[in-house]
Amino acid sequence: MFSSLVVQAILSGVTNGVIYALIGMGIAVIYKGSGVINAAQGEFSLIGAVVAVFAMKAAGFSYPIAFIAGAVFGILLGIVVDVVLVRPMVRRKADEDAFLLLTIGIAFAISAGVLFFAGRDYFTLPSIGSDGVAIVFDATIRYHAIWVIVACAAIVAALRFFYRKTSFGLAMMAASIDADGAATTGINVAAMRTATYGMGGLLGALAGLLVAPIVPISYYMGLVLTLKGFCAAMIGGLTNPMGAIVGGIILGLVESLAIVFIASAYKDVVAFSVLLVIMILVPQGILGRRGRKGG
Amino acid sequence: MARRWMGTPARALAVSAVCALFTTTLFTHTPSHAQQATGEPIKIGAILAITGPGAGLGVPTRNGVLLAEKAVNAAGGVRGRPIKVIIEDDASNPDNARTKANALVHNEKVVGLIGPSQVAQIVAAGAITDPLKLPHIVPAGLSVPVERDRKCVYHVLPPQDLNARALMEYAANAMKIKRVGVLHDSGYGNVVMGALKAISSSYPGIEFVAIEKFEIGATDVTTQAAKVRASNPEAVMVIATSGTPFRAVKQVRIEVPVIAAIGSSSYEYVKAMGESADNVIIPEFLVGEDPLPDQKAFVEMYRKEYNLTPKNFEAAGWDLVQFMVAALKATPADAKPAEICEWLRRPHKGVLADYDFRDADLTGMKLTSFVYSKLIKGQYTRLPFRVSK
Repeated sequence: MFSSLVVQAILSGVTNGVIYALIGMGIAVIYKGSGVINAAQGEFSLIGAVVAVFAMKAAGFSYPIAFIAGAVFGILLGIVVDVVLVRPMVRRKADEDAFLLLTIGIAFAISAGVLFFAGRDYFTLPSIGSDGVAIVFDATIRYHAIWVIVACAAIVAALRFFYRKTSFGLAMMAASIDADGAATTGINVAAMRTATYGMGGLLGALAGLLVAPIVPISYYMGLVLTLKGFCAAMIGGLTNPMGAIVGGIILGLVESLAIVFIASAYKDVVAFSVLLVIMILVPQGILGRRGRKGG
Repeated sequence: MARRWMGTPARALAVSAVCALFTTTLFTHTPSHAQQATGEPIKIGAILAITGPGAGLGVPTRNGVLLAEKAVNAAGGVRGRPIKVIIEDDASNPDNARTKANALVHNEKVVGLIGPSQVAQIVAAGAITDPLKLPHIVPAGLSVPVERDRKCVYHVLPPQDLNARALMEYAANAMKIKRVGVLHDSGYGNVVMGALKAISSSYPGIEFVAIEKFEIGATDVTTQAAKVRASNPEAVMVIATSGTPFRAVKQVRIEVPVIAAIGSSSYEYVKAMGESADNVIIPEFLVGEDPLPDQKAFVEMYRKEYNLTPKNFEAAGWDLVQFMVAALKATPADAKPAEICEWLRRPHKGVLADYDFRDADLTGMKLTSFVYSKLIKGQYTRLPFRVSK
């Protein structure tokens, strides 16, 4: 029985960790590309999921089309945030804390907007594949959670390919590492930053779309998702989107194993103690140093 | 919209419901042929969580408040004057609640205050109303010791120890079980869990074989659910305000009955539970699908107005306004706030429950007011079990 509990903790930890990682990757992408910590990343997820739900239930689109609509809306939201709100502040040379305040404001505004237009309902999307569970050593994992893990791995591979092998991705990275240098080589730095926000919006929306079949989404959940995603990004290294995967899975596993080996009441104490230790030992995050070198 | 509503049979229904549902005192003050209330409105303040995490409580309460305001005015108002409930949103924030309470009391000169929806906000607003002895009724149960000293802040939902007893009564007397596992969240669930521990000595036959906690907004609680399952309980109590733990219970194949606290009883949470909602048992007060005889008029009126089935917080919102109105009608027009407050200190019959505001918990609700329901395909079915004394 105890071994099945440990297996359950690992399965649950990986599932949670991947969810944290998806949010964390979006935060890291935006931070890497613009130097802004986006406190509204969870709200991007919220919007992605809610748009897909309404596309299916109100507009009658099929699930794949609704999924794409949610993802596209995420990209557009990211672009709008940059063009309408961030860009004017950049022109006025706003400080880092002003940008943080801006994104906190965006988070509250989106949350209130969802409450106003969509209500206080919980929104769910159909599972990919089946609603059932796979049984592993008497522990269970939902089939959809397996798809989320697979999707997360695919997103990581795609991001890695995008940043390393495509000229657009390399230009975005160049603009983030040395904006002036990039500008001298003809890279449109402002457009690259807009693309970064679009990418962050896409990652956020994908997280919401993948999570909504497991976790019913409601207007207030953006902040909760952002906090865990931020922790994942910090552990992995805020400047390296790939680090969020490492950070998210570490955070998820520590939380769930703490439930089994210590007590559920102390889960967060244990998880955040580990976070503190990692921050003391590796202040830039586990993969942060590589991220700063452009890795 | 309002004019059309008042010109329809809803008006007659409102009048009859008002007459049927209120205290004897009200009967004597409600004209048999109610006229449309006219003149300067009597202002009642309301602070509710319309946005923020508490909106799940505040929005349904607001619906009940607005329906009651409409019904009261359709029935002639207070001494021929309409009432105007000025609703403010505290955004689930205690600082806002205090600011809004100050504005309502000192700028708007309201004759009484309704709300806020949550404990910290109630404590903050109570600090404004208590020194003035302003009549103040809230849609929450007494939760912290400081509230006991505020004798003009009455409550229309049960204190947490009563919620806990309602859960234990079902386990002990309806199911007659001994081993109970608990899955609770770190907010509402933590408070009720504390009450469960405090009253457990009254139910010596029941042992908590597992108590597992998760944070509000947790995305996955299957590890906690698996620990509960491993303890071989005969039933699991879920005390939370989200659907996540119910899904986890189903995912880890817990087969024993699930008893949920009243906090999970809104339709939003039921929707969030999905298929996991089936067979969940909830001690509550209003089963809209099968209301008690003296709740039927309210349920019909609510359905007509909103095309929705009301639950507990909607009924609480209705009761809040009706009690305040009853006090205003029963006291002289120039009564001081303390006199209105003092008048409220008596038994009241509400839609949600019977109250006795003379009680030390400023609620006076009894276990006998609870009804028990079971969820079947997203609908509540009232169970025959009631606590007899």
